[in-house]
Amino acid sequence: MAKLMSLLWGAGSPPCWRVMITLEEKKLQGYKRKLLSFEKGEHKSQEVLEVNPRGQLPAFKHGDIILNESCATCLYLENQFKSQGIKLIPDSADDQAAMYQHMMEGLALTDKLNSVIYYDCSVPEEERHDSAVKRNKEALTAELKLWEGYLENVAAGSYLAGAFSLADVIVFPSIACAFRFGLSVGRYPKLAKYYSLLKNRASIKTTWPPHWVASPQGYDILKDL
Amino acid sequence: MAKDMTLWWGSGSPPCWRVLIALEEKNLQGYNQKLLSFEKGEHKSKEVMDVNPRGQLPAFKFGDIVINESYGACFFLESKFKSQGTKLIPDCAGSDNNCALIALIMQRVFEGNTLHQKMVDVFMYNRRVPENERHESAFKRLKETLTTELQMWEGHLKKTPGGFLAGENFSMADVIVFPSVALLLRMGLSEDKYPKLAEYYKKLQGRPSVKATWPPTWKETPGQELLKDI
Repeated sequence: MAKLMSLLWGAGSPPCWRVMITLEEKKLQGYKRKLLSFEKGEHKSQEVLEVNPRGQLPAFKHGDIILNESCATCLYLENQFKSQGIKLIPDSADDQAAMYQHMMEGLALTDKLNSVIYYDCSVPEEERHDSAVKRNKEALTAELKLWEGYLENVAAGSYLAGAFSLADVIVFPSIACAFRFGLSVGRYPKLAKYYSLLKNRASIKTTWPPHWVASPQGYDILKDL
Repeated sequence: MAKDMTLWWGSGSPPCWRVLIALEEKNLQGYNQKLLSFEKGEHKSKEVMDVNPRGQLPAFKFGDIVINESYGACFFLESKFKSQGTKLIPDCAGSDNNCALIALIMQRVFEGNTLHQKMVDVFMYNRRVPENERHESAFKRLKETLTTELQMWEGHLKKTPGGFLAGENFSMADVIVFPSVALLLRMGLSEDKYPKLAEYYKKLQGRPSVKATWPPTWKETPGQELLKDI
């Protein structure tokens, strides 16, 4: 099964990481994969464009099936391989609803993180404004406080929707990014606890961004949030 | 079942419309609903904030369950009411064709988020960006990005002769994406430049769930011309 799968991915990218965590959780190790460099523009290479005309990563194939949206890929894998590996969509109505809600909110979190972390990459110099940077940081701060609230009762086995689920698959990579970019452990203790509980989960450890292992010291863009 | 549900919504908002369509398709008419006005700022009222601290619509409750993300509500409704109404996501067990179909539905569903964001970036530009931060160059780039995105959807629709986004049948992809397409046309998108999108729009306008949930404010007022040059 996994042998018919291939993934084009980039290190540290939350959307790519989501797919890799899911593949591990569903016991689909053994898939083909190719690590590409965003910095070298390899996400816009012919090889990627042939799978994903948007020139974005992840780009995923299962036989002739192509999936280039990380949430779509994760949902597809959970549905197709329901009976193997970990159950990522809870059965109980309460937990399932919480899972879908937080999963989709995770996309808002990722956007707000990107608008701060990648501001200079995405906004040409002559269009940048300190007022915009300030506003983006305030929006991200408000967003992170919401997640602190969601994780009020975080504990081992009790994550965003009860047991580990697709909500955590989607959201954890962005939380990990936030800490990588200097988020204060002291100001966000619940997020920090969530991060430290899950970073040793097998699927997450195995797929930890390789350059983060090599150089554990990150950046401090978010330290004042 | 439906009597235990409440939806707070705004007219013409694609995220709200998605949930309205899903409720119709799953035969869940009879839910409680409250139409609110974005213009009057009612989405930031205490009533909404009590359900959705983000102060956004839709806000949706089912008993004690709260789901305020339109995709979340649609997926949840399909999952819990799988055996009634229209099947919005086929079962995967069995045929290989269904695997490919499910993948295509999921792909279009989530691409729908990108389409919606790029559309909103253009028509909400002046509302979201303070005057001193606006640039012609930025607005131009957002319009170009939207144009590229729309051309991609024209391409998607050329490849599905069935007329729906994922082939022969109405699916979750259409629940999610149709409202954004309808808003594009409402905002003046050129039917000549985007014939497949226009054709899709006209095809789905006649669907009962779409007709039943057509934005009430659209019936009363004409559309706008904001996107006619895209």
